[in-house]
Amino acid sequence: MRLLVVEDEPRISELIKAALERAEFIVDTVRVRADAREALANTPYDAAILDLGLPDGDGLDLLAELRPAGNHIPILILTARDAVEQRVLGLDAGADDYLVKPFAMSELIARTKALLRRPGAALGTTLRAGNIVFDTIGRDVSVAGVPLQLPRREGAILEHLLRRQGRVVPKSVLEEKLYGIDTELESNAVPVHVHHLRRKLQEARASAEIHTVRGIGYLLVETEA
Amino acid sequence: MSFSGFRSLQLRLAVRLAILYVAAAAIAVGILVYQAYETAGSLNDRELDLRAEDLAHAMVAASAGQPRLDLPSKLAAAYAAAPEDDLFAIRDANGRVIAASPAEFGERVAKWPPAKSEPSYFRLSGVGPEEVGENYYGLNVALQTSAGPMWISVARTEGSDALVKSLLREFVFDTMWVIPLLMLATLGIGVVVIRNGLKPVREISQKAASIGPDATSVRLPEQSLPTEILPLVVSINRALDRLAKGFAVQREFTANAAHELRTPLAIVTSALETMDGDGELENLRTDVARMNRLVEQLLRVARLDAIALEFDTVDLNKVASSVVATMAPWAIAQHRTIAFVGSEQPVKVNANAHALEDALRNLVENAVLHTPCGTEVTVTVDCAGRIEVSDHGSGVPRKDRENIFKRFWRGPGERTEGAGLGLAIVSETMRAHRGGVSIADNADGGATFTLSFPSFPAGEAKASEAFAGGRA
Repeated sequence: MRLLVVEDEPRISELIKAALERAEFIVDTVRVRADAREALANTPYDAAILDLGLPDGDGLDLLAELRPAGNHIPILILTARDAVEQRVLGLDAGADDYLVKPFAMSELIARTKALLRRPGAALGTTLRAGNIVFDTIGRDVSVAGVPLQLPRREGAILEHLLRRQGRVVPKSVLEEKLYGIDTELESNAVPVHVHHLRRKLQEARASAEIHTVRGIGYLLVETEA
Repeated sequence: MSFSGFRSLQLRLAVRLAILYVAAAAIAVGILVYQAYETAGSLNDRELDLRAEDLAHAMVAASAGQPRLDLPSKLAAAYAAAPEDDLFAIRDANGRVIAASPAEFGERVAKWPPAKSEPSYFRLSGVGPEEVGENYYGLNVALQTSAGPMWISVARTEGSDALVKSLLREFVFDTMWVIPLLMLATLGIGVVVIRNGLKPVREISQKAASIGPDATSVRLPEQSLPTEILPLVVSINRALDRLAKGFAVQREFTANAAHELRTPLAIVTSALETMDGDGELENLRTDVARMNRLVEQLLRVARLDAIALEFDTVDLNKVASSVVATMAPWAIAQHRTIAFVGSEQPVKVNANAHALEDALRNLVENAVLHTPCGTEVTVTVDCAGRIEVSDHGSGVPRKDRENIFKRFWRGPGERTEGAGLGLAIVSETMRAHRGGVSIADNADGGATFTLSFPSFPAGEAKASEAFAGGRA
């Protein structure tokens, strides 16, 4: 899997490259927008990590060129917290996700993997959290190698929690997912399904668990070793 | 005289003016009285001179060469009418008494030294047994007469000029009462004029009271000022300019320093993350994480100081739920939970969403760090335009409530992590929104921090609320 990192600060670029390489990605780095444009034109990258403040211009302009030109490469934007308005701009301009500096490398890798797992993106097949493995094509779930039978709705919830691993998934989003399966949805359908799913994961000794954020939604977190 | 006791310029001026008036009035009255008595005295002297001259004219040389007093009948009658009141004695150049009225006065005068051509005045008492105690004022003078040089002494009782003096006294005292009155009136006018004159100064002082670290752009008005005060105000305004510049430089420095620190810190953070090591490395990571936090907070504080926030219509439910969703993974990693309790309807306020998110994030962070393991921090939005963050910790001691929102303040015995900037950011953000943050006790002993917005009139104030929003 080949990634392009566009970052002008050499030390940070180096560290990002090192971290991504440890996660077994192939990484190219460029420092300026012009080089990034050329690299993207010549090499079929699977995703790009784009810093917004570049010496020869704003990273957002690059995005604005790519999307209309039909390039839908997944892009993760790196931005400083004081440039919060840019996050919004970035997503409007067609970025897939953003990460606020300073960030942890583990977060960068997780987000990059999440980008690649998106439908149509490179990592389309297997989702993992702890010892849970979810094959999105066969819709098979296993915990510590042992297959786990899940009803379709619980499977849909788990898939979505896995895709957004470590982040809170609003209850309303899960409701939408279920609505696609079951047109007649009871108001407490999501909590009930999550309850069952949580119990099944516990019984299977999964090393990740579902937490409830009352009033917002749910999130899946790997349990500490 | 020292006026250090009087802090009011108005009072000082009034007191000085009053003293000046009293002194001026006293001098004026004194001069008037003195002049009046002087006039009376000189009138007296003049009268005596005239009498002496009359007597000199009445001297005739008798046939035997003996000088003789030949008083015109009118004068003679006058002297005879009051012999105790009007005295005279005439001596020749040898000192022999030629004429005297009464004779007793002549006897006295006979013993006196020769008179000179310059008139000399004297006082005399007790002429004649009946007149004991009667005081006389008189004149000795040597005059040339048709009978040769004569020494003439005339005197009259002091009381005889009483009429003149009483007339003068009446004049002086009738006129004088007007002077204090006039003085009082002038003083009154003076005070009113001073008050009016100082009005611009009072206005300036009110304006100056509004100048603070948050309002360094305020300048004192220079229009329609008295020219005496204008240079002072202009100088103060220049000083304020320099101070404002200093403030700006300092803020800029903080912001720049924090900004410049970010990249190297990010490098160190990432580098530490990629290293394998023992517990010492873990400690280093914690230290760097703390530095990152401090730098971010410094930046936020500097930005709150320096930039006027842009306001927009914001739904508090959205802000709060977004913060809860963002913070939940971290809270769960700390073995605590966060819950969001929204209101049914959107709660729209005029606010800067990013600043508000930052503030709320700080409150939630604070609550999560203070609530015991396994408990929940609740973020509640109510339809009265308030966001409440409650925890189950030990609450905030009443004595700390004023200090807790100050920059770099930390409670006694508080853990050393954190720079003490978080709650200052909350308080300053709310102040920028013209709202406030207050602390209340929960029933179970935890604390509830409430952010309130001005577009919603504050509801029932809780008994233990301590508003910090307006504090500098």
